[in-house]
Amino acid sequence: MSMTRAELQDAARGAFGGDELAVDRWDRVVEMGWLTMTVPEAQGGLGLGREAAGVIHSEMGRTVVPDPAIAQALVIEALSAADAVPDRDDLLARAMGGEVMTASLSLGDALDCVPDADRASHVLSVTAERIALLPLAAATITPRATWDTTRRLFDVVPGTGGITLAEGPAAATLAERLQQTLLLALAADALGGAAAILERTIAYLEMRQQFGRPLALFQALKHRVADMKTWLSAAEALFWSRTTDPAATLAEIGALKAHACTVYCAIAEDAVQLHGGIGLTMEYYCHLFLKRAMLDAVLGSDADYWEERAGRRALRATG
Amino acid sequence: MIGEAALTEALDTLRHSFRAWLSAEAPQDWRATCTTHDGFLATQRAWFAKLAAGGYAVPHWPAEWPGGGRSLAEQKVIYEELARADTPRLLLSFMSTYHAASTLLEWGSAEQQARYLPRILEGEIWCQGFSEPNAGSDLANVRTRAERRGDVYVVSGQKLWSTMGQFADMCLLLVRTSSEGAKQAGLTYLLLDLKAPGVTARPIHQIHGDEEFAELFLDEVEVPVANRLGAEGQGWAVAQSTLSSERGLTLLELSARMRGALWRIADLIHNGGRGDDVGLLRDFGRLATKIDATCALADQFLANRIAGEERVGDASLVKLSYSRTLRDFTAFGLRLGGLRSQYHDPIVYGGGMETGNWMADFMNSYAWTIAGGSDEVQRNIIAERLLGMPREPRTWTLEPSA
Ligand SMILES: Cc1cc2nc3c(=O)[nH]c(=O)nc-3n(C[C@H](O)[C@H](O)[C@H](O)COP(=O)(O)OP(=O)(O)OC[C@H]3O[C@@H](n4cnc5c(N)ncnc54)[C@H](O)[C@@H]3O)c2cc1C
Repeated sequence: MSMTRAELQDAARGAFGGDELAVDRWDRVVEMGWLTMTVPEAQGGLGLGREAAGVIHSEMGRTVVPDPAIAQALVIEALSAADAVPDRDDLLARAMGGEVMTASLSLGDALDCVPDADRASHVLSVTAERIALLPLAAATITPRATWDTTRRLFDVVPGTGGITLAEGPAAATLAERLQQTLLLALAADALGGAAAILERTIAYLEMRQQFGRPLALFQALKHRVADMKTWLSAAEALFWSRTTDPAATLAEIGALKAHACTVYCAIAEDAVQLHGGIGLTMEYYCHLFLKRAMLDAVLGSDADYWEERAGRRALRATG
Repeated sequence: MIGEAALTEALDTLRHSFRAWLSAEAPQDWRATCTTHDGFLATQRAWFAKLAAGGYAVPHWPAEWPGGGRSLAEQKVIYEELARADTPRLLLSFMSTYHAASTLLEWGSAEQQARYLPRILEGEIWCQGFSEPNAGSDLANVRTRAERRGDVYVVSGQKLWSTMGQFADMCLLLVRTSSEGAKQAGLTYLLLDLKAPGVTARPIHQIHGDEEFAELFLDEVEVPVANRLGAEGQGWAVAQSTLSSERGLTLLELSARMRGALWRIADLIHNGGRGDDVGLLRDFGRLATKIDATCALADQFLANRIAGEERVGDASLVKLSYSRTLRDFTAFGLRLGGLRSQYHDPIVYGGGMETGNWMADFMNSYAWTIAGGSDEVQRNIIAERLLGMPREPRTWTLEPSA
């Protein structure tokens, strides 16, 4: 990647302004060109690939940004692959320019878990037989109140019509790639969130005094933090190795996503505990991470689903 | 991209040639012969000599040494193929090729390197004499004394838990040369010839019945001053290099081996007819991913070290991740083995921690949660050094109970 991971990370962290959480950053996301990141240069993108996308989604996870960037990334990837569609360049330019086009964050055929459908012009429909971009003008859009309020999810029943982006075997191939993109983005979001809440927890333990000393001096707490840091570091290493491996399979990326989300949940849960009473309120940030961790864990299919597949794969690979 | 393709091709070539080499050279019947110490020693020595001659024994050494200079990716290929071919782990020479070599490479003078490194390649066995009865986790508390008399140090004291100490020729020895100032400041690092007069080694029975480590008794042993690594009083810093080798680099091989041994669990699942047991498959999938994450962390550690970007505490992350995952791995095998794995099968010396004798493997996994700095000590290092959390207060007083 031409820009290093660290450079991109610095840029993103600067743009999101670090401390403020759960704030709409759509304009910044568009302005920084991040929606164009994985699109080839010939199509007007930056041509940076998955590693760069990993950095951006992880930074959005750090500040639990509410925007539909993951859904938009799926639409953009599908459009970028749809070379035979006459209006493709125009649609792609509009999507990269920030016109919200959304997609489901579940892995099923139904259009549930669709972020920001109320402000989107199109929704992406992904099945193994057909991938299509459907206008939302005539659609029924029902909001789904979720515990995690950092994502605004909708159920969508589309009207008729729409533009077919891929069909038949090409659709199946693209669908699998889109699934990988979704899973990597969710894993990145989870790892960014986990890193952020862990840092905040450590800062809190250093600041909070009980028994005449900072909590951070108590070994029982330090050891829990050290364990979390260790699992997070291993999950991050796995994330970068699978993100940069062009041969990584869907099952491997699914297992990575499950692992990242398990680590995120564990860290977010412990963060509530280590903050004491304040951790259990909505006055403080812990709940934002906890709820998002719980939602991330089930989007794109849950750990049970992916771990079973990873188990079958390991059985085949080694048996 | 062209560069990458060429790289992949070179790795494939290495993999194939090493695999071919292994199918001709790898010892076959070692599980049967390594149930006695003599069999273990003979097998280990012969296998090391073959690997060294083939240029595969020390891929992690620098390029000027025969068999060294392998890239990280090449090293991984070698470890993976060694595991796949189910070769004995080089337990006997492990300390020599990793701990001793990396410490010598960092601290040894040109003369010391030229003298000792070739001997290691020829099969000289080294052990590590750091721990003592009252210096385990509190390693700076070393009491074994070394007094300088002319051009020798005269050393007296006792060392504990020296892995392979009873079979070793040389010892990396941490001694006290001064009681002034901070405990760390009075330590010195010596290279001890274990055949010197005054040295007694007594093997200790480990929890599974093997004798992998020994006690060393040192009674007025003379060590030439020329055998000192670093300056007098610099022993603590030198010892950190040895420990960081133990905590980082070696775990690259061990993690790859753990991944390479997953087939043992797959075998148990197949043989037990449980290939469709969804709960079990999930647990297996979770374990396999955790092992992959540990391997990725070890790879990243080595890459950072090569790039000079290692941070204090990084090695502890790798060690803690490995030791906990190894415990999970062996516990899973034990669970699948059921009653069968409670029968006392003979243990295979030098089989590593993935022999498929699950009870032995499980007990052996403590070697990594305790040795080389226990998990608790790694957690302290991670919290205090890497995450910058405040250090434990240094002094304490015992409050009289009411
Ligand atoms: C298989 C094996 C091989 C070994 N090989 C070698 C070798 O080759 N050379 C060598 O020099 N040594 C070797 N050792 C020794 C090893 O380094 C020590 O056993 C280890 O450092 C722990 O010290 P200890 O046994 O004295 O336990 P202790 O230090 O007494 O610890 C007992 C328990 O208390 C915990 N504890 C101690 N201090 C703290 C603290 N500050 N905070 C929280 N918990 C704490 C420990 O984690 C442990 O759980 C080996 C040990 C084993 C098991």
